[in-house]
Amino acid sequence: MEEIVKISGLTKEYGQGEVAVHALRGVDLAIRPGDFTVMAGPSGSGKTTLLNLIGGLDRPTAGDVSIEGRSLSKLSMSALSRLRRDRIGFIFQSYNLIPVLTAMENAEYVLMLQGVSTVERRDKVRRILKEVGLEGMENRFPREMSGGQQQRVAIARAVVSEPALVLADEPTANVDSKTASGLLDLMSRLNQDKGATFLFSTHDQAVMKRARTLLLMQDGQIAYAGAPEDELCEENGE
Amino acid sequence: MAIKLAWRSLWRNRRRTLITVVSIGLGLAFAVFFICFAEGVYHQLIEDTVRMQAGHVTVENKDYQAAPAVDLFVADAQRLRARIGTLKEVQKTKLVVLGQGVARSGTGTVGVSVMGVEPSVEVGMSVLPRHMVSGRYIEDSDEALVVIGAKLAEHLHLSEGKKLVLTTNDATGALTEALYRVAGVFRTGVDEIDGYLLQMPINPARRLYALPEGSATQLGAVLWDSGDQSRVLRRISTMLEGTPDKAYPWQEIIPEVASYIRVDKSSNLIFQGILLFLILFTIFNTILMSVLERSREFSVLLALGTPPGLLRRQVMVESFFIGLMGCIFGLALGGGAAYALQVYGFDITKLYGEGLSISGAFVSPIVHAWITPGTLFWLGVIVIGATLVVSLVPMRRATRVNIVDELR
Repeated sequence: MEEIVKISGLTKEYGQGEVAVHALRGVDLAIRPGDFTVMAGPSGSGKTTLLNLIGGLDRPTAGDVSIEGRSLSKLSMSALSRLRRDRIGFIFQSYNLIPVLTAMENAEYVLMLQGVSTVERRDKVRRILKEVGLEGMENRFPREMSGGQQQRVAIARAVVSEPALVLADEPTANVDSKTASGLLDLMSRLNQDKGATFLFSTHDQAVMKRARTLLLMQDGQIAYAGAPEDELCEENGE
Repeated sequence: MAIKLAWRSLWRNRRRTLITVVSIGLGLAFAVFFICFAEGVYHQLIEDTVRMQAGHVTVENKDYQAAPAVDLFVADAQRLRARIGTLKEVQKTKLVVLGQGVARSGTGTVGVSVMGVEPSVEVGMSVLPRHMVSGRYIEDSDEALVVIGAKLAEHLHLSEGKKLVLTTNDATGALTEALYRVAGVFRTGVDEIDGYLLQMPINPARRLYALPEGSATQLGAVLWDSGDQSRVLRRISTMLEGTPDKAYPWQEIIPEVASYIRVDKSSNLIFQGILLFLILFTIFNTILMSVLERSREFSVLLALGTPPGLLRRQVMVESFFIGLMGCIFGLALGGGAAYALQVYGFDITKLYGEGLSISGAFVSPIVHAWITPGTLFWLGVIVIGATLVVSLVPMRRATRVNIVDELR
């Protein structure tokens, strides 16, 4: 099957001349449907930059990113916005739920943007909240939930519209290990049952070991791409 | 969703929102109250003046305005009066004979303004009969009785029952004299009126100035509602086509009062403009602060694929809600206070003392506010409209975020 994400020669530089920071240096990458890929590496290795470029949140200095065969560099800002709305789900490290919306309203937000009817929206969200273990908490606000619960809502928000790709930037960084394990189980289940394609960034060894494909980033390049060997995980994780 | 997000976002910082709403409300209440108070003063000034003089619409000889003289009178005044009186907008018509003369007593002489009036009409119409301080007001049947102002009485050492001689030139240009007795003395507190005005019944005035029976230098139409003035003026002007007479609005008959109102309204506009600026600045500050505090949240929404227009709409709706709440509070408070002042009035002699006049025109001591639904409506529209304009900058700011930097 064709790749969901195809990256060629991707480069990102910040600043100019002597003070230029090379966040990515000519990265090539392909992600297939159903992949459960984890990016690891030290801080400043380019993980978040790569995620931002794949998600269309930033523009590369050089190279190209294609999502389902569509080159992002050819898209306008509004087309990129629509692409993110329809084909990409985001899970952030700090959950980033909207504080004035309930769990139900946060999770259904993207469906609302897509114009899905209220009845269908509510039905989908109830099912997904049940799947992520938050049945009965639909009307709670983020301030009334634990970190783990909030991240589950974020996961629900990211997957409810069945996007082609889910990008998660250190999704377990702000929760305890037990919660992190629960979240990983959840995302793994969604990957297997629904075929959702996940691309993570992480420092967490436990997350790295659960990957189907591990990418090790070093100085803006992919130093390793393959199965998550224990030794590699221990060397590069926390 | 924009409305839901906007409404809930307002209450994230409840104290700030409430302070802003109260600030807007107090500012608007202040504006409403003083506009209605000023309108009340203008309304009262106009009504008192036109009812004491020659109505909202005045008919005069075409040449009278340029050079007032008793021989330039409205010839067929009675017939014209009857026609004007049939207009439903007209409450009352009045005939006036205006002239100049010299009043002489045993102790002195003073140039006076002579006003021949219909006492039975004046009693229900003009403020003068309500300001008698001694004696009585004149009556239709009085032949040689006059009422004079307190300052004039003081100057000529006159009081009720005393005699004065009036000397003038009549309509034929001949010098004429007549003897009158003082029926009563009035005090309005306005020097121009109390010091120089002498009123007598209209028939003796016609005889003094050798005017034909039924004539008058001015025929006035007092209206139920001053808002009908333009329409009535047009209709009366049509009636006067082909005659030597012309109809004038009160603004041309009493230009000093019209001019005062115009100037006062202009200076009030400046004051209201400053107030509006302060209100809008408060709204702007609150909305902008709220937007700047939520840069990260807006970045998340944009990252999820929210169209920038939807975010801008949310900010605009927040501004609208704040403006609306402030408006409702302000209009209720200011409108309520103005309504109370409209009903109960305020004695301005407590502030300004007795005898307040404006451009030589009498001002009633008890001032009532003048509140209309139109005033409240347009003030509300202006505040809300300006709120939406002021929200343009925060609206733009909401979507001009660097998503990557904010999410870092």
